[in-house]
Amino acid sequence: MEITLPPVDLGAITPELIVTGTALVILLVDLFLPRDRKTPLAYLSLLGLVLAFAASLPLWGRARYAFKESISLDPFSLFFSSLFLLIAALTILISTNYLEREEIHRGEYYALLLFATLGMMLLAKGMDLVVLFLGLETLSISLYTLAGFMRARLRSNESALKYLLLGAFASGFLLYGIAFLYGATGTTNLKKVAVFLGKGAPLSDPFLFIGAGLLIVGFGFKVATVPFHMWAPDVYEGAPTSVTAFMIAGTKAAAFSAFLRIFLYSLAPLKPNWSAVLWVLAVLTMTLGNVVAIAQQNIKRMLAYSSIAHAGYILVAVVAGGELGGSSILFYLLAYALMNLGAFAVVILLGQKGEENLNLPDYAGVGYRHPLPALAMAIFMFSLAGIPPTAGFMGKFYVFSAAVKAGYIGLAIIGVLNSVVSVFFYLRVTVMMYMREPRAEVGPIYTSPALAAALVIAVWGTLQLGLFPGRLLELALRSIRPLLG
Amino acid sequence: MSIELPVFYFLAAITIGAALIVVLGRNIVHCAFSLVLAFFGVAGLYVLLDAEFLAAVQVLIYVGGITILLLFAIMLTSRASGPGVRILNEQLGLSALIAGGLFFLLIYALWKGIPALAIKVPTQANVPTIGRVLMTSYVLPFEVASVLLLAALVGALILARKEKD
Amino acid sequence: MITLSHYLALGAILFIIGMFGVLTRRNAIGILMSIELMLNAVNLNFVAFSRYLPPGALTGQVFAIFVITVAAAEAAVGLAIVLGLFRNFRTVNVDEINLMKW
Repeated sequence: MEITLPPVDLGAITPELIVTGTALVILLVDLFLPRDRKTPLAYLSLLGLVLAFAASLPLWGRARYAFKESISLDPFSLFFSSLFLLIAALTILISTNYLEREEIHRGEYYALLLFATLGMMLLAKGMDLVVLFLGLETLSISLYTLAGFMRARLRSNESALKYLLLGAFASGFLLYGIAFLYGATGTTNLKKVAVFLGKGAPLSDPFLFIGAGLLIVGFGFKVATVPFHMWAPDVYEGAPTSVTAFMIAGTKAAAFSAFLRIFLYSLAPLKPNWSAVLWVLAVLTMTLGNVVAIAQQNIKRMLAYSSIAHAGYILVAVVAGGELGGSSILFYLLAYALMNLGAFAVVILLGQKGEENLNLPDYAGVGYRHPLPALAMAIFMFSLAGIPPTAGFMGKFYVFSAAVKAGYIGLAIIGVLNSVVSVFFYLRVTVMMYMREPRAEVGPIYTSPALAAALVIAVWGTLQLGLFPGRLLELALRSIRPLLG
Repeated sequence: MSIELPVFYFLAAITIGAALIVVLGRNIVHCAFSLVLAFFGVAGLYVLLDAEFLAAVQVLIYVGGITILLLFAIMLTSRASGPGVRILNEQLGLSALIAGGLFFLLIYALWKGIPALAIKVPTQANVPTIGRVLMTSYVLPFEVASVLLLAALVGALILARKEKD
Repeated sequence: MITLSHYLALGAILFIIGMFGVLTRRNAIGILMSIELMLNAVNLNFVAFSRYLPPGALTGQVFAIFVITVAAAEAAVGLAIVLGLFRNFRTVNVDEINLMKW
């Protein structure tokens, strides 16, 4: 029997290979490090991420497919890969201190974080639903473990269990949707699906609708849109704070990258049908996220609901579609990642051992005792609320103007109203920091060069995108074009 | 009329019956064993669909691996689930509603959408073809799956081992 | 004559049974078992489509193999979490585990 091996184009997956290789090296080196000295592993993983980023730069040149069209190297996937590498690097910078404080500094943490990053990169690159599915599961399985990383803490256990059960449930829906899509089109390759549907295949095929509907449910769970969000606050609150930051910034972006490739690219001919569903989901998600966030006292939980609301804003842009809508999503996801990771860096900095000092009243008077972290937090809160001159403002501006230009004026108005509501609970944090008397003495805060670096990067990025958004928007436009054909 | 149809109905009945016991059964050990039966039923259906390799994989991994794992977990965490202990939570009505709704939606789609395909595609020799496809067209997913399994291995070890200090 | 519809209808029934189990079971292991039922239903769909669709090429079967792989990995991690949880909580009933408001 004769087997002709396909050309194995390792050059196309160099960044992924580097990330995987680094994770394996970390697992090995971990064995030789004493229990209380795991910090070198953090630097090792940072090195891996930087190398992977460097290796992805030459790929920008020319869009192409590899591995029998199962992955795509276009500006879209490279934009997202770079975003994920940045998110992973910032997460590692804010992790070391925290892990030591909570006494869960283990080498596997970094390996799993890198495996999760690999999964995200495959989600962005995957052109075949098989690759997307495996990328999603690599991400999810690593995150189930990371969510339960504080094994001695009940909340972390609970978080891991809820995340796993809901994640697997969601995978069931996603797979059922993929199965119907396969049944309707006869292929799992997204490019072939797009070609098949573009050729004027019967778009009224119920299999397509059922498939797209189930995919929306599955992705709805993964990005926590209402009404599939029930798991998110508990999981985000219970997981270790650094992992929460990674999940909120990274998982959402990764799930959206796959979602965009499927819906904006392959299922584009069905847009009139699915955009109506997403319209409703966007309104529900924004409104519920913001309204419930008002009632929260725990900062992590508040940021969890805020992340639900932000998923709603992104859905507005998906509904708007087109070049403007698409590019505003990419812009928004980067801005969103920076401001959330920054906010969580401050939460980690001000937190005390045993996940303490996380409630809103604990932030009273922080502005006077720790002026610099408080200033940074204020900037992130302004950005999350969408107040100029921050990244969050520009992001929302692009999203809503895309919605208006696409004719979804009602949706844009609801979005703006929601933003106004959200100002209340974001600014409450700032008010607490600057206008309330400090409460009883709490322990000293420990900073590290890594944490400080993460904060500086996040602040710089948030202001940079707010003041000079032009270049990134240009890049986002260039990146979304391959999807729109 | 061929023998196939009665066989299909037989396997389907076994699978559905076993699945119902899994979901509604009072004793969790019984549930696990009827899950085995459901897996065997599905494996039988794979044979009917000329997917012998998949049938073998189904028996090996599901019956031989996953169920054993489940039984271990049940044994290690067992606490009386005798009569009187509720096994279902209080969202029964709502869940039935959602499940029923989705069911009718699916059946409607099947009824409307199906071209009632009764013509099977000519098969190729199953095992060699799958092996070849896995090593050529799907070599990247194949490798990713190995990384995924490694991540799961590391994860399961971290979460399940006892705290040393 | 068995048609594709037979298999798809069976898959739908199995999926719904599993989904109902996930929504109603209290025992975390019971929920995991129900999820396995859902994944089996999906696989049945994949294999049936792969058998009856013209450009076969076994895509559906290959997908099913990956689904089984992932299901095994998920079960392993899931049961590890359940064991860890049992050590801390002495229960595996999800609605007794409610430190945080749902």
